[in-house]
Amino acid sequence: MNRIIVCMKPVPDPQHWNKVSMDHETQTLKREGIPTIINPLDKHALEAALSIRDAHGGEVLLLSMAPPFVTPTLREGLAMGADRAILLSDPVFAGSDTLATAHILAAGCRWIGEFDLVLCGNMTIDGSTAQVGSQLAELLDLPSVMHVIDLHRKEDHLLRITQKIEHGYVRLEAELPLVISVRKELNKPRYTPFTGILAAESKEINMLSNEELHIDTGLIGLEGSPTKMAGLELRRFKREKERVEGSPEEIVQVLVDKIHRYGII
Amino acid sequence: MDFQFSEREEMLRKAVREFAENEIPPKMEAMEETGDFPTELLKPMAEVGITGIITPTEYGGVGLGYLARTIVLEELGRVCGAMPMALQVHHMGCAVINDFGTDAQKEKYLVPLAKGETMGCVAVTDPTGGSDVVGMKSSAELKGDKYILSGRKCFITNSHTSNYWVVIAKTAEGAKGLSAFIVDKDAPGAKLGRKENKFGLRGANTGELAFDNCEIPKENLLGQEGGGLAVAIKTISETGRTGMAATALGILTAAYEEAGKFANERVLYGKPISALQAIQFYMAEIYTQLEICRLLCYRASWLKDQGMRCDNEGALAKYYTCEAAVNAAKKAIEIHGSYGIMKEYAVQRLLRDAVVTVPSGGTAEIAKVVLARAALAPFKK
Amino acid sequence: MNKNDHDGIWVFAEQRNAELHEVTLELLGKARGLAGQNQGKVTAIILGQGIKPLAQTLLNYGADSVLVADNPVLDPYRLIPYSLVFEKLIKEYHPEILLMGATFMGVELAPRVAARVRTGLSAHCVDLKLDKDGKLLQVVPGWGGGVIATIACPDHRPQMATVMPGTMKPLSPEERKGEIKEIEINLPDKDLGPKVLEIKREKAEGLPLEKAEVVVAGGWGVGSREDWKQVEELAGVLGGAVGTTRPPVDEGWAEEGQMIGQSGKTVRPKLYMGIGISGVMHHVVGMDQSEHIITINSDANAEIFETSDVIVVEDFRKILPKLIQKIRERVER
Repeated sequence: MNRIIVCMKPVPDPQHWNKVSMDHETQTLKREGIPTIINPLDKHALEAALSIRDAHGGEVLLLSMAPPFVTPTLREGLAMGADRAILLSDPVFAGSDTLATAHILAAGCRWIGEFDLVLCGNMTIDGSTAQVGSQLAELLDLPSVMHVIDLHRKEDHLLRITQKIEHGYVRLEAELPLVISVRKELNKPRYTPFTGILAAESKEINMLSNEELHIDTGLIGLEGSPTKMAGLELRRFKREKERVEGSPEEIVQVLVDKIHRYGII
Repeated sequence: MDFQFSEREEMLRKAVREFAENEIPPKMEAMEETGDFPTELLKPMAEVGITGIITPTEYGGVGLGYLARTIVLEELGRVCGAMPMALQVHHMGCAVINDFGTDAQKEKYLVPLAKGETMGCVAVTDPTGGSDVVGMKSSAELKGDKYILSGRKCFITNSHTSNYWVVIAKTAEGAKGLSAFIVDKDAPGAKLGRKENKFGLRGANTGELAFDNCEIPKENLLGQEGGGLAVAIKTISETGRTGMAATALGILTAAYEEAGKFANERVLYGKPISALQAIQFYMAEIYTQLEICRLLCYRASWLKDQGMRCDNEGALAKYYTCEAAVNAAKKAIEIHGSYGIMKEYAVQRLLRDAVVTVPSGGTAEIAKVVLARAALAPFKK
Repeated sequence: MNKNDHDGIWVFAEQRNAELHEVTLELLGKARGLAGQNQGKVTAIILGQGIKPLAQTLLNYGADSVLVADNPVLDPYRLIPYSLVFEKLIKEYHPEILLMGATFMGVELAPRVAARVRTGLSAHCVDLKLDKDGKLLQVVPGWGGGVIATIACPDHRPQMATVMPGTMKPLSPEERKGEIKEIEINLPDKDLGPKVLEIKREKAEGLPLEKAEVVVAGGWGVGSREDWKQVEELAGVLGGAVGTTRPPVDEGWAEEGQMIGQSGKTVRPKLYMGIGISGVMHHVVGMDQSEHIITINSDANAEIFETSDVIVVEDFRKILPKLIQKIRERVER
């Protein structure tokens, strides 16, 4: 395999989510002062890419759509071992939903040109939509597999993949090129080696705007996104403290309904 | 002046923190129980670059220097004080060979140390005392192509986990009569003595070494014969003191964080106790000391990186930070109330660990001797 | 796709081995409710092989009609064939709304279909509503549940959503009539994506405490080894793990490894149930990130109630046996 693209999203560090507040006028979240980290599952995707490269050679590219201030976070991915990074950044990208984001990432992949494999995390911790990987594949007209918990190369252009499903798994054989979204069971991401931090300082982060990508602006950004935000509410993990009263039978009935509503039974 | 960490240093801190928070906690219960250092972590630490942080790249290290080392030790210590304690002594074992070793000695001993394949330490203290270096009894004599070493070394960190020790012994009388040797743990006549049962920094191994006509090949003399005092002093005052200071800084940071978290979680009279002024003053004191100690520790190691003298600054950072860590841990326990003395809570360990940093690598009094000299120097007639 | 001339609510009837996923019935229940507000029709879409008999079940649970694609190429599930079938159906029938379960299958399939027909999709919905113009409002959690967003898809059709299993209620089934229509499938025999080598289903094993979706924890208030068995039994019928505070360990009712809190494990299950637990801080720090918390304690002032979603002030001995029985009946049904 010659080239692997790893989609990486810089996300707000969940350890600081208690600092999130809401701007009620613009109906957006204010996340000032919250540090940015690599989306945790994307590290598993990167680890998978790095171990394939380390065993078979080739190159690992990070691909990210984000504002320019995230470059230190991309640099962390380079320090883990990726060879270079491409940051897709343009004010016209702002407010993109998953489909619009997939259009932008697809344009990034096409700009890169030849590649054999695209790896993504199954979902991000902030939006948690788990949609971009499949949509990117569709827009690139490539096959895709989600929920991947095992992955290895069988032949040069053939992968053996294990996909998790309810109470079990599916084993698949897939030809490259392909888009794969991974779960954390897949591997344990390496720690950033200090030598990698030094090496990353001279690695390239290529910033591309829509001037280079030429995406139809009707497909991207707030305007181009088919889904729109109709309301936003901060719950701040408050507990409901709902007291259930009545006869034991009545209480049991309420509890059973609740447990069912939680999706347990 | 520039008080901002570079992007490189910030990334380094993040990388060590991630390693420390994930890999050390599963080991801590056994460390507390047995007092043993988890040597199985050496390899993963080496992969990250922790074991070889100050060793030049040509000898298998990452060559990032002392400020980087302080950040590394501080972050390890924030999770568990015994880790930087053992590591900083290991770094002393690296520094002493790097500074005084021949090329052959560096190839043979420094490279595996930096790569975490072996562990090392420096053994100075005799049962007669550590601070009175010249008064030591351990002695070595050249016989043919071997030195014959006899004597005991005590309170040696990494004594039982090291593959070789750098031992200081007398080859003649007086300050010019000390010499340094690299002693293999399997050398004939070298024996491990007792393992100490410390009440803090338990996961860092401390113990005795005994030498009974121990045979050391002549080429294992480190530096010049008679140059041992300089070897000991340079290693202790530059690498050892900054390392102890960074260890204590990690403990101090942990005390600050534990105290802050508890003060915000614990509710009394319908409010978190952080709303009480008494608690706020405690927090302000811990915070003040933490900020002072950060500056002291970073400056001492920065000076070392610049190739400037750092012995006074190292002593100052070591003395002040170790005491501050004790104070902060005590206040953190007070903030915790009765919870603070329960084993389930980290603060009791922080206090035990902090207390152990105080005499390690030179007592507060020795530091004050150094500092008094510096303080009075401008007024000397 | 543009929104004119679309109507009807579609539900993807997910099945593996001709067994319907529960979420299908829940989606039908919800779709029925939404259709009732808007006089729309509910259509279930089922793909696979040998699945025709399931069509009547789908009608009984609320579908007005069922589109059945029964073809060997659709068994077992594969992403690309399923996406192609959905594209064809959507382009032919123009549904207003398309719902899928946020299951392993739905989460993979729905975004691919949405991208293929270029429409909007919201993920892991916990509620669905219609606004006054009949637009679908999709309520989704984000940021680990800390943020609730309402999403709409004003200009593209179908409006698509995946829905968290368990958040909607199925209707009680009744014998209903409706149209069952078979669809002709003509898929190319290549470029259908990865080949399925093996599908393995295994009974869910007892999970370790930290990974269990349900944790039932008991405290000092459980009172005796005899009654501790009720705690274990409740965990058992819920397929969960048993947790404990310190005193039951000291009493020998529970093991050290089951302890939750400062000196034990930190759990973050979907459901935590606390039985006879007072709620001292060193326990609470180990469970307060749980998604849902139900607690039962006879002491109305128990601190644990501060960290609870559902509070029962009652002797657990009056509740648990009945609760266990009810749940067992449901699960075995």
